Amino acid sequence: MFRFKRDTAGDLVAFTLLLIGALCMIGPFVWMMSTSLKPLAEQYDMRMIPQTVTVENYPRLFEIIPFHLLLWNSAKIAAISTFGQLLTCSMAGFIFAVVRFPFRNVIFVILLITLMVPGQITAIPQFIIFKFLGLYGTQAPLYAPAFLGGAFGTFLMRQYFLTLPIELAEAARIDGASLARIFFTIYLPLAKPALAAFAIFAFMFSWNDLFNALIYLPSNMEKTTLTVGLALFQTQYSGQWPLMMAASLISVAPIIIVFFLAQRHFIAGISMSGLK
Amino acid sequence: MGALRPMGIERWWVLVFLTPTLIGLLLGTFGSIFATLGISFMDWDLLTPPTAAGISNYQGLPDDRLFMRSLWNTLAFAGLYVPLTVIISLFVALGLNRTIPGVSFFRVAFFLPTVSSPTAVGLLWTWIYAQDNGVLNEMITAMGGDPVRWLSRSVALYSVVIVNVWGAIGGGMIIFLAGLQAIPKDYYEVAEMDGAKSWQRLWFITLPALAPSMFFQCVLVTINAFQAFDYIYILTRTGNGNSTMPTLVFSIYRNGFRFFRMGDAAAQAVVLTCMIMVLTLIYFRLQKKWGAQA
Amino acid sequence: MKHLTSTALALILAAGTAAAETEISFMLWGSPQEGEVWSHIAEEFQAAHPDISVNIEVADWNGYWEKLRVQVAGGTPPDVFAMDAPLYPDWQSRDVLLNMQPYIDADPSVLEGVYPVTLEAYKTEEGMFGMPRDFQTIVLYYNKDMFDAAGVEYPTDEWTWDDFRAAAAELTIDKDGDGTTDQWGAWAEVYDMEPFWGPVIWSHGGEVVDAAAGTTLIGSEEAMAGFEFIRQIWLEDQSMPTEEQLSQYGWDGLLSGVAAMGFSGHWSVPEYAQAGLNFDVAPVPMGPAGRVTGVNSAGFVISKDSPNPDAAWEFVKFAVSEAGQSELANIGLAVPILESVANSDAYLGQEVQINHALFVEALEYAHMKPVFRGYEEWSGAVGDALSLSWTEGVPLEESLEEAVEYGDDALARNN
Repeated sequence: MFRFKRDTAGDLVAFTLLLIGALCMIGPFVWMMSTSLKPLAEQYDMRMIPQTVTVENYPRLFEIIPFHLLLWNSAKIAAISTFGQLLTCSMAGFIFAVVRFPFRNVIFVILLITLMVPGQITAIPQFIIFKFLGLYGTQAPLYAPAFLGGAFGTFLMRQYFLTLPIELAEAARIDGASLARIFFTIYLPLAKPALAAFAIFAFMFSWNDLFNALIYLPSNMEKTTLTVGLALFQTQYSGQWPLMMAASLISVAPIIIVFFLAQRHFIAGISMSGLK
Repeated sequence: MGALRPMGIERWWVLVFLTPTLIGLLLGTFGSIFATLGISFMDWDLLTPPTAAGISNYQGLPDDRLFMRSLWNTLAFAGLYVPLTVIISLFVALGLNRTIPGVSFFRVAFFLPTVSSPTAVGLLWTWIYAQDNGVLNEMITAMGGDPVRWLSRSVALYSVVIVNVWGAIGGGMIIFLAGLQAIPKDYYEVAEMDGAKSWQRLWFITLPALAPSMFFQCVLVTINAFQAFDYIYILTRTGNGNSTMPTLVFSIYRNGFRFFRMGDAAAQAVVLTCMIMVLTLIYFRLQKKWGAQA
Repeated sequence: MKHLTSTALALILAAGTAAAETEISFMLWGSPQEGEVWSHIAEEFQAAHPDISVNIEVADWNGYWEKLRVQVAGGTPPDVFAMDAPLYPDWQSRDVLLNMQPYIDADPSVLEGVYPVTLEAYKTEEGMFGMPRDFQTIVLYYNKDMFDAAGVEYPTDEWTWDDFRAAAAELTIDKDGDGTTDQWGAWAEVYDMEPFWGPVIWSHGGEVVDAAAGTTLIGSEEAMAGFEFIRQIWLEDQSMPTEEQLSQYGWDGLLSGVAAMGFSGHWSVPEYAQAGLNFDVAPVPMGPAGRVTGVNSAGFVISKDSPNPDAAWEFVKFAVSEAGQSELANIGLAVPILESVANSDAYLGQEVQINHALFVEALEYAHMKPVFRGYEEWSGAVGDALSLSWTEGVPLEESLEEAVEYGDDALARNN
């Protein structure tokens, strides 16, 4: 972390504003936590501090839902997807940002359009493609596409690489480095903040994916993911909000952990002089 | 924009690096762009084979009440949501890129809404917006104002914009935080030697250097605005699966998946995609202009 | 082609090895608990038919319809799947369901003892493309504790809508005196016709829709009188919470303990019991045209492209048999379609002790929930228009006129 001068007044104003903002941000979330600690009879008591505090909802939840199975399935799929996305999207993003080649812009624009088409229409054509490829009935439709790049990640990585000065690549090239070498030894290490950001998103997208898990996985708890399991569970326990709040808190915990680990990479800017 | 021209063996590397994306794009384009375009010129109820419909699905759009209502709702929503989300998340990221105590805590705090399940948090928002004992109305009446019906038809737009912006700041913050790390320190060091004030550093260095991230964020937030669904539906749904504030993707979903009219739904999806494309083009022009300033 | 070859293949296999297994898939909406009961039914079925195995898939209501559509459109439909009667014409008319009539004709005993009204929805000119599995009649639920606390007598089978209105007003209470209501006399879901406004209109002598003629009939004077009654109890007396108020309580006012009465089918029983409510049920109150309630049913259909239609039919037959129906009665979410089971201990002696017999008796004055192509779109259009009166203060005459216009448009678009 760097500072240019003792900018105390600015820091103080920023701090105060951020504090107020942060409180607004976590308010509903804290409220969700406190609701998860209420007994059923007091669930609609809208006070933020529960009248009666109970932790019974959590052990009960583990009795009702086979969380260990669901968490494992979701974690496995999300981890594989995140890896595939980081690898293939950063490679493509690098090429789009740094190299000039025929149809570069056309291909990139088409890629962007795939991001804009709403998924409601494309679900059935995609199902037919997966069936055609013989992947229906396996878990592959949930993670295989992650190894085929993707508009969001490629776009994100490209924009980051564009921020880096092109002189980095040019200088390395004059020294005789190959494109692969430039990517792996210069651009990828510098891209840690972007990779961290993208990892958070990729993990979150996979973790929260309800539709594909619903369509492609059998509904039994040994094979399906947390999102599908929770949707089923809500059918049976609708109206029991403390349980539902507890369930949704447990289900987002892994994303928060991933975020916490990743955000440590958002530190300091790069230094040109250190790279030469 | 400077870029390398690949020579000799480098061309192979370009191909290797792009192969996964190109395969994905091939499948993806057929699965999404061509499929949507194709279906939009057909009548298809999902259950029987599609038949050619010419441009009738597009011609029918102005007479579709649900679609027209959804279109206006979505445009109004996007008009508020996009600028608010982009600007607030930019300032949050700038603030959290400084040396302040508890920076990790702040980052997690701003990120939390992004991961909160809309179903669970949706209930809490109905409590915040509640007519009788809601948090907001209690504050308003305490200050001597009249209670507001936050989820009534005339106010609901603003209420759902607030919830959606709340849920989107964290994502924008991550993008901008990452983008800020790519700005070489050297730029600031030079500027400081020239005696630039902090607002000048922000205006002449940070923002132009952040243009690629800004472009990304604007495109993404616009896409999200036009495809917003979860919170809006949860706060405005009615007992029979309808919504008092239908949005475009809601209309697309209802037409395609509930009313057996995939052709109409696809035509609506094409309209939606075109609107996002036009906005993206505008952002692209702006970015070029902005980048030239640097 | 593919379907032909696989059938041929199955035949060859069946001829070659006597014990060759036929696998069929059955998909339904429901909770994990329902899935378990169905697995149990499937086990019993397999005990009787060792050559057939059943693969059960459960999804939540919304997920179910999404998954089903994708699978059918993608050419891999489940062999047997659950169907809701109002949505049946949408599927039946699109030629994806197997005509069960030949099977029924070959074995008419399968319909013996089935309440005839439950079969109505599935009949077409070409025969039946679906079988009901259970039915739902709408009754009046009430919270006994709230009635006791307010000193109001429980609803009786003599009640008229006016008695209901008077009791609801008495049960609407501002407990802490802060000027806002804490307990409402009743709550109702007013967008779809099924739980509340359908019975109200019918018992005022009105009709809802004539789908064959493509006309929405709620513009009549009788229907108007029914809606006027709803307006009075809801907006004038304020004995019912508004939609915005209900949303704070997860929609079901009785379940959340803020309303003393409500209208629902048998599906609410397990939920209410689990929430610890002290409740019972009474008949829907009488109107100027007598007492009328609604009946709806859920059923099974077989995919037309099923490679094993015979095995699929055997499974459906088993599920509507006494053995299958008794198991289903135990879940407590619906009423069995077999008279013998509905009058047996399996249904009447459920764990939750309320007047279960009432749901069966209600069949005598029940009107079938309209079943036609485009139901969902029509329901949305009509509900939307009507809601202008409920939430935005638009006069009923205007919103009804709009509801009829929008409803007719929706009917026209689907026929």
